[in-house]
Amino acid sequence: MRRLLIAVAATALLAFAGCGSSDDDGGSGADGGPVEVTFWHGQNDIMKDAYDTLVDEFNASHPDVKVDANSGGVLADEMLTKLTAGLAGGAYPDVAYVFGSDLANIARSDKVQDLTEAVRDPAWQWDDFFAGEREAATVEGRVRAVPALADNLGIIYDKRLFDAAGEPYPDADWTWDDFRATAKRLTDEDKGQFGFSWPGAGGEDTTWRLWPMLWQQGGEILSPDGRTVAFDSPEGVAALELVGEMATEDKSIFVDSDPNGERAIRLFQGGKLAMVEAGPWILPDVIDARVDYGTQRLPGFDGDHTTISGSDNWVLFDNGDERARAAQEFVQWLTARRQDLALVRALQTLPLRASTAASPQYRRLAAQIPGTDVFAAALDTARARPSLQVYPEISKNVGEAVVAVLLGRADAQEALEAAAQRSDALLAGAGAGG
Amino acid sequence: MAAAAPVAPPARRAAAAPAPSWRRRVFGEHPSAWLFILPSTLLILGFNFLPMAWAFLLSLQRSDLVTPAEWIGLDNYRALLRDPTFGDAVQHTLVYTALFVPLSVIGGLAIALMLNRRIRFIGVYRTLVFVPFIMSAAAQGVLFSFILDPQYGLANAALDGVGIARQGFLQDPGQALYVLVGIGLWGGLGFCVIVFLAALQDIPRELLEAASIDGARRWATLRKIVLPSLRPVTIFLLVWQTFQALQLFDLVYATSRGGPLGATTVVVYYVYEQAFQFFHAGYGSAAAYVLALAIFALGGTQLAVRALRRRRAVA
Repeated sequence: MRRLLIAVAATALLAFAGCGSSDDDGGSGADGGPVEVTFWHGQNDIMKDAYDTLVDEFNASHPDVKVDANSGGVLADEMLTKLTAGLAGGAYPDVAYVFGSDLANIARSDKVQDLTEAVRDPAWQWDDFFAGEREAATVEGRVRAVPALADNLGIIYDKRLFDAAGEPYPDADWTWDDFRATAKRLTDEDKGQFGFSWPGAGGEDTTWRLWPMLWQQGGEILSPDGRTVAFDSPEGVAALELVGEMATEDKSIFVDSDPNGERAIRLFQGGKLAMVEAGPWILPDVIDARVDYGTQRLPGFDGDHTTISGSDNWVLFDNGDERARAAQEFVQWLTARRQDLALVRALQTLPLRASTAASPQYRRLAAQIPGTDVFAAALDTARARPSLQVYPEISKNVGEAVVAVLLGRADAQEALEAAAQRSDALLAGAGAGG
Repeated sequence: MAAAAPVAPPARRAAAAPAPSWRRRVFGEHPSAWLFILPSTLLILGFNFLPMAWAFLLSLQRSDLVTPAEWIGLDNYRALLRDPTFGDAVQHTLVYTALFVPLSVIGGLAIALMLNRRIRFIGVYRTLVFVPFIMSAAAQGVLFSFILDPQYGLANAALDGVGIARQGFLQDPGQALYVLVGIGLWGGLGFCVIVFLAALQDIPRELLEAASIDGARRWATLRKIVLPSLRPVTIFLLVWQTFQALQLFDLVYATSRGGPLGATTVVVYYVYEQAFQFFHAGYGSAAAYVLALAIFALGGTQLAVRALRRRRAVA
């Protein structure tokens, strides 16, 4: 309790002390010097090095702007808290890295630039960003961010376990029924080996894996007018029932209650887990552990293999017109095709732009890391979760429903209906309090 | 010396007779004392009281910390009364406290009594008992997540070995809170043991010797001499451990994040979730203040009881 008060307190103090960037130490373009742009990328190690290299390049080629790059003192997971404190105290950077699911809440602030008009400028080549990324950068019809990192979910499997079980590798047209049967055959209780895993901590990590299964059947998270939720539809129930039966009847799902989902990754590295649902971010760890892996797109319902985009964003803040414009100039440069390709090369991530993905340079790069092609191919069709302020709360409701079903504590229909009821109340503005 | 004190030299008495200067009235006999306590006073004011006051104001607002806040009076507190999740959080906190406090104090006393004797390697045992206390809650959480993993953990392997059915532990909504009490005890016992040990060694040896000369057996010595001497320390530990239990957060954050199915959502975790995940900073502050009031009330009651007892003892 006191610790919590202190946390709230620290926020206040940050506000008073005005640490981090402040209005008076930069943005002095008028008197001749370059405009200073504070850039919080929230990264360390190779990600940090990659951004630092690009920033140096930008500073060298743009004498009128000077970008000051640093992590922001936190890693990306904690960026939301840090930015909230900064906004409360009126001291915030010009550009910051924000997780996709956090954008709607940061965009409550009018200090977050509205880029709707700006990106109409052909220099942005806005439509060259993949649709799922553009959707994830948009809140209530306004563009409030620029795509920073592309991600989507696919299946990564351990070839050794498939070979040992005499199981053929999955093909691109597999269905969820095929998937369930495969997972069951690859489960061996005596060896402590599971076919598949699902995060069981109940957060967004638990929830977002359900959405592709809902979308593929034609279901939606929200009703068309956005006033109620629609995930408790027959499609949603069918999806959750399938997962529940895998967990409780087939016992082919390892429920990973670790808050960070780390245990499933370790099991996969240790050859105890045949398939995981993840994005390309997991590949460096898998390669590091020398797992002979393969990738395949998500299984489908009726030939639809839609996946979910987990893209993150650059959020641009308004520290006066001059700095705001300079921030736009920098981010436009940072996300342009040439730099996009440079980041893909340095970090083995996915391209942000369709033109990058289509370029021969990218194809040559992708060939060096087996399996990324599956994720790159899905960029086109991946969908984003709704950008809603109450999304974290809806996500928690659904996450609890999924965990209840995974643990065999509830029936899929009842669990989703209960989650929907609570979520409808949130959308109607009858949430807990202020 | 003592007898000479009241007879002060007449000259000095005459100098002290006029009303003390304003400086002395404001700053007291030893003005420099203020200089010594100033830094810590400022720190406590700045880091404790100011934020607490700010959090109270926040609890009267609808605030997400990002957009301008709106004054809503006591609405947040009213909403708390109707919020079943908050009710559950309070209940979980009370269950945890009701188990953790007596178990840690009684357990701590028992272990302290066992360790309060001259045996070989006693220093090693005492250190071992204290080690878990200095381990961070995050490390404890990770350690026990490994041991208690339902599929791969040591605990279930051990249960298998003696033919007991495997347990869900932190994954079972019916067990998770009690498992947390267990982990809390593992980490919190060491503190009680150390405090009791110190108090035990403070009991004058003459008392114990006199008792043994009078023919008191061990049980009688424990009941008539040891336990009464430990009373102040026991009360301190009860109050302290209660505060610790009511403020439980880090263990929950590191192991279960309030799950499964909300079974381990305690009040402070609830506050964290509301303020920092759902952007209801005002509402979260109100919940924090409800807990703060409970703690103040508890501390106040304890002080009042003590004052009453003392007055009765004097009378």
